[in-house]
Amino acid sequence: MRRPSAMAVTVLVLLALVCLFYLFPVYWTLITSFKFGNEIFTYPPVIFPFSIDLANFFQPSTVAHATSQTAIGSLPWLIDSTVVAIVTTLVSTFLIAAPAAYSLVRFIRNVWLGRLILFMTMIPEVVFMVPFFLLVGEVNLLNSWWGLALVYVSFAAPFATWLMMGFFNEVPKTVEEAAEIDGLSPYQIFYRISLRLVTPGLIAALILCFISCWNELLYALILTYSPYPTGAETVPLFITSFLITDKSFAWGGLAAAGIFTMLPTIIMGIFAQRYLARGLTLGAVKG
Amino acid sequence: MRLSRTLQVGLVLALPIIVYFAIFFVYPLALLFKEAFTTPAGVLALTNFQKMLADPVLLTTLQNTFFYFAGSLGLEFAVGFGVAILLYNYLGKFRTLFRTVIFIPLMVSPVVIGLMWVLLLDSQYGPIDYFIRLLGLQPLNFLGSLSLALPSIIVANAWEYSPFVFLIIYAGLQTVPQQLHEAAAVDGMSRFQAFRYVTFPSIRGVMLVAFLLDAIGVLKGFDLIYVITSGGPGYSTYILSFYAYKEAFVYFQTNYAAALSLLFLAIIAAFVAIVLKFTPVEEYLGIRRGKE
Amino acid sequence: MSEVVIENLTKKFGNKTVLDGIDLKIDAREYFVLLGPSGSGKTTLLRLIAGLEDITSGSIFMGGRKVNDLSPRERNIAMVFQNYALYPHYSVYDNISLPLRVRHLSAATVREKVKEIAETLHIQDLLEKKPKQISGGEQQRVALARALVRDPSVFLLDEPLSNLDAKLRVEARAFLKRLQKELGITTIFVTHDQAEATTMATKIAVLNKGTIAQVDDPYQLYTMPNDVFTAGFVGSPGMNLVRGTAKKVGTEWQFNNDDMAVDLGGANLDGERQVIMGIRPEHIRLGKDGEGLECTVSNIEPLGSITLVTVNVGKTSLVVQLSGKTDLESGSPARFAFDTDGIILFGDPDGKRLRLTQGQA
Repeated sequence: MRRPSAMAVTVLVLLALVCLFYLFPVYWTLITSFKFGNEIFTYPPVIFPFSIDLANFFQPSTVAHATSQTAIGSLPWLIDSTVVAIVTTLVSTFLIAAPAAYSLVRFIRNVWLGRLILFMTMIPEVVFMVPFFLLVGEVNLLNSWWGLALVYVSFAAPFATWLMMGFFNEVPKTVEEAAEIDGLSPYQIFYRISLRLVTPGLIAALILCFISCWNELLYALILTYSPYPTGAETVPLFITSFLITDKSFAWGGLAAAGIFTMLPTIIMGIFAQRYLARGLTLGAVKG
Repeated sequence: MRLSRTLQVGLVLALPIIVYFAIFFVYPLALLFKEAFTTPAGVLALTNFQKMLADPVLLTTLQNTFFYFAGSLGLEFAVGFGVAILLYNYLGKFRTLFRTVIFIPLMVSPVVIGLMWVLLLDSQYGPIDYFIRLLGLQPLNFLGSLSLALPSIIVANAWEYSPFVFLIIYAGLQTVPQQLHEAAAVDGMSRFQAFRYVTFPSIRGVMLVAFLLDAIGVLKGFDLIYVITSGGPGYSTYILSFYAYKEAFVYFQTNYAAALSLLFLAIIAAFVAIVLKFTPVEEYLGIRRGKE
Repeated sequence: MSEVVIENLTKKFGNKTVLDGIDLKIDAREYFVLLGPSGSGKTTLLRLIAGLEDITSGSIFMGGRKVNDLSPRERNIAMVFQNYALYPHYSVYDNISLPLRVRHLSAATVREKVKEIAETLHIQDLLEKKPKQISGGEQQRVALARALVRDPSVFLLDEPLSNLDAKLRVEARAFLKRLQKELGITTIFVTHDQAEATTMATKIAVLNKGTIAQVDDPYQLYTMPNDVFTAGFVGSPGMNLVRGTAKKVGTEWQFNNDDMAVDLGGANLDGERQVIMGIRPEHIRLGKDGEGLECTVSNIEPLGSITLVTVNVGKTSLVVQLSGKTDLESGSPARFAFDTDGIILFGDPDGKRLRLTQGQA
């Protein structure tokens, strides 16, 4: 085996540094979650913990001013996040995005409408926070799943539509024409043929929508004020509640909360990596 | 009014999105305009915009926003691009391992990322300042210093988004046919020359898309500011989105906040117009002029 | 009844006219082929008949009924696409049965019909498989089955054999021809391959740049092409075409150009004129006892039972077909004579066939 060139070694070293950069924050948070009580506040800070203490995940931390400061205590928020994310994802993708995307690609093939959809996906959430707050308040849906889902759908739908447009474009027209000749109505063609043929795109859209809902902070902040069962606060609010209330002392619980709530998205991410890659790079890379 | 069958079907399929659009885009937009042009007393006036012109906080905010935007975008793109090139040139067996690690930030929620960096950047108990102390230097108060807070946010942002840039550019690099590289090697080009004359031109389009998508992601930034610094210290990490939020939901100045939102929207619209110039929507929709 | 009549059909895409004033009559039970090079409009014509594109002007009648505004479903046609267009997510059985299920036939009827057509096409063992699990030839038969299971009145095929390898293609040709005869369905077949057309068709329409050059049975097309285009397109190797003048010399007519003088025998031309002389390779033979033209052999292609010899007469190049082997060598001189009966004259520059002798119409 030849001696590796200087360049190859440099590349390897740089890559290792990059990995360190991406891994270290996660690692640090992980070990912080394993430190209970005062172990966090030692100096010099412990880099390699001697023992792993899972207390932060299951017991309240030393400062007890909120009963739900443990990882397990995050359950009500988890329920909220799950329900809202699922409802939003299903409604946005199946009910709104898929038919709209198909319509735009096959029937109403208007370039300006396509541009409009793209524009809508690029609008930051903050722009509409005042109107949406007023709107949701008006229909008395504050602090509820439906209020939150309603708002989330308005952001998820354009994005999902844009994604699906690319996928529908790849369905070969001849297969749809064969169906037309076979006697299917346009709606039947959409439902029985085209929709089935874009399954990878659908899954990418579903997963991306779900993850966006799960991580969303601003509107959860604005539109909710208590968790299940009285309200609809979502997971990001659970974490920020640690930060706001008492930064200095709830760190163990905070870290534990962070690690714990990271798990669902990491599992989804690993599981669906191939769909994700396809979805994100669609339109970015030709072919 | 009999519409053609095609249009009929198209409209029926698009009905859900049209309904949603009317209720959740047009109406809120109208509401936004109304709120922005109203005083807290309920009078229709331009007061909010006059206030904007004289607002020192807004000036700082806009400066910060620009700096944040340029800094984040630049850093993310540079890192993402660099890592993509690195991994592309790495021929060893840890390739998949590296790629999986690079994916990690994409799977972590922004709020959690914020909290991670809060832990890391703490001047007393954080590891970064610990290492700085080990080197014999004065510890830096990242989150408490006027000059370091925003750069810290920028770095955290880069951590969050550079894998995204990496993903797109890496995928783009993979579409460059192997034969081009072989031809370059046969032609006697060095690695750098090959990159400059062969690889780089091939991925220019992809780079542009990555850049644009990245820009859009950065523009939306709110979570990190809220979690890590809450706009502080002072106003050094106030960006436009955060300022609007504060005005609306902490100080209850919904009218002024609406005006700020409109300003933000205007900036976005200008930016998006540029983006649209570069995006081939026709291709995306499969629209071709005449017969192929 | 399932005859198809096309009247003055024109199709434009924007400003581009793709089909111009097409008139065709396709009889019931006919195997009708639309033949032409790419861009001639043949696929567009087929798609207009199918109802997949809108007509710019003109009419299409099926079984006496005007079908201009009818959807494909209402025309009771079936179509096989070049890439078969099978539903990739459905099994073979589901692919074939879909047209029937959409018409709400009972499950039992559906099963029976599918079985029947599957047996006719010898694909009954593939019913559970998905399209990507079967070979190209099998996919084609599934596409045929899906089309035929409905008993359509007109059967349309768009170059369905181009994706098959050479050997399969020949088998498929024979298979299709037999099948069509057996089922007796009016069939319209599009291809650019003239050999395919002549082996399968009962009648061929040759299309050139959006208009019909000639409609005839394969034999007539071969022996009596109406214009230079058809003469050059049909038949392989193609007809030799040479430019020159035809004039009366004494009582007989003669063809002349810089390189040659050829006797034409009698001719019914009005006077001396510019012509294009056409003669097929098999109508040129080795000249005996000094008859014919002095040529130089430039290329020899042995094909087994025949040999194609390319010869040069001055600047003109001709292809000659000789039976069996030849002792000729490249570069050597030889004499070749034309069979007067095989000569066809076309006007220059219009390219239309001229009356030559009383035998030729």
